Amino acid sequence: MKRLLRLVFLAIALSAGVALADAAKPFTADTPAVLAQHFAGKPYLLAFWSLDCPHCQAELELFARLLRERPDLPLLLVSVDAPALAPQVAARLAELGLSAADNWQFADARAERLRFAVDRRWRGELPRNYLFDASHRVQAASGALSETAVRRWFGMVTE
Amino acid sequence: MLLIAALAAGWAQAASPKHDMAAMWAARHAVARPLAVAAAFDGAGRLWVARVESGQLKVAHSNDGGRQFTWPVAVNAVPETIAAEGESRPQIAVAADGTVHVLWNVALAKPYTGYVRYSRSTDGGRSFAEPATVNDDRREISHRFPVLLAEGKRVSIAWLDARERQAALDLGERFAGASLYAAESGDGGASFGANRRVAAHSCECCRLAVAWRGGQPMVFWRQVFDGNARDFALADLSEQERFVRASDDDWRIDGCPHHGGALAADERGNLHMAWFTQGQARKGLFYRRHDGRVFSAPHKFGNDEAQAGHPSVIATGRTITVAWLEFDGRANRVWAMQSRDGGRHWAKPRSLASSEGAVDYPILLARQGRPWLIWHAEREGLRTMALAK
Repeated sequence: MKRLLRLVFLAIALSAGVALADAAKPFTADTPAVLAQHFAGKPYLLAFWSLDCPHCQAELELFARLLRERPDLPLLLVSVDAPALAPQVAARLAELGLSAADNWQFADARAERLRFAVDRRWRGELPRNYLFDASHRVQAASGALSETAVRRWFGMVTE
Repeated sequence: MLLIAALAAGWAQAASPKHDMAAMWAARHAVARPLAVAAAFDGAGRLWVARVESGQLKVAHSNDGGRQFTWPVAVNAVPETIAAEGESRPQIAVAADGTVHVLWNVALAKPYTGYVRYSRSTDGGRSFAEPATVNDDRREISHRFPVLLAEGKRVSIAWLDARERQAALDLGERFAGASLYAAESGDGGASFGANRRVAAHSCECCRLAVAWRGGQPMVFWRQVFDGNARDFALADLSEQERFVRASDDDWRIDGCPHHGGALAADERGNLHMAWFTQGQARKGLFYRRHDGRVFSAPHKFGNDEAQAGHPSVIATGRTITVAWLEFDGRANRVWAMQSRDGGRHWAKPRSLASSEGAVDYPILLARQGRPWLIWHAEREGLRTMALAK
């Protein structure tokens, strides 16, 4: 039965190829380590947001602007919304023009488990950003980052 | 086939370029598990619990400390989207004459909006009055995170209200946070006075904490100070724009802490507070007391490496009990610590209960001079536990 479901799922996925490309990747307890490996020797910014966080929306608009200017920014957007909200997350990203960004979404409805894998000290306040430098020393920040701070960190020209 | 239809519908929505924020908000509530419960002991030591099931607030009581409950009675006949997770919490209080007061938050269609609803039972919880909307501003904006106090014929209600914020936005101006509003009844909840603003510039989505100090309805909440420092404030709900800063953590955050504090009053009139901060001055969970004149130095507790948060506090005589939640990577666990000298010295914290499923915040109550823990978990259900005096 499981196999059949997987086949059905695959068939729909193929027929809806474009929409699937928009879907956020599942963020699991293993993802932080996978990302660290992927970005070995390189800096990256891990930005957590949710649908019900008003301050996150403003920060996402900022990220959308910066990604239009520099599509190659090592910026990963992670929605902490429950997996059941995947369509709403995808729709919100599409509205912000962020469908092509490096999008992830919590794969576990119990967010505390994934937060624990990211940072044991993080109580769930949003937005939450982790700025990893090239040697992966990390700076954690709660609250929306200012445009100046993000530009400076990415080494972008301040407008 | 149903599965295919559901998946296809999901993708059709995802592919649509115009995002419907109202649909997002509705979906957000549809997947939320209403784990947040309200609990109170009456004067006879009966435990009253209100919880949300299929859009109805249901009230039951127990004569044996929570082992067996009466058949739950629905408060609102017409189901509605009741917010009951995390910081959004239904409320229950039982007055000395047996009147059962309940309060909850109905989510409206627009994101981040809601109304405050009140009802009461004057027949020992057998039936409840038609729900009344407490907020007299009826715009589709935020009137959320309500709390309730009842003593004798007095009922005090407080909540976070966005009416001043919306008025500023309508003029194209900025407004930091929301406002703390209150409404009071002097006739046991039969009628309420006009809505009153207690303070402007509250933090928008952190639960409020309330306690009677003698005849004063006291409130402890996260306020936006000096532009953007989201620290705590303390006020008498019956006053206006007269509050004191209760923490100086200097947590400057353009964001949502989603993390309110806890408040209790002892019989001498001292107040006991617990809260979470990530401020410049200090980080973590803290306790302090206020003797009517001064605040004690913040006392740190909880394990920062285990997400320690969401505290509750209760005073029983000279004993002060603080409980909080931690997550160790596998299980959520309630920890508690006690002081026998009114909050000056603290015994070593101990673990009271754990759950490997989804959980609500811990709730501490007083039952005839003894502290009790009430904790709702998805797997284990409602657990109740008498603690040492």
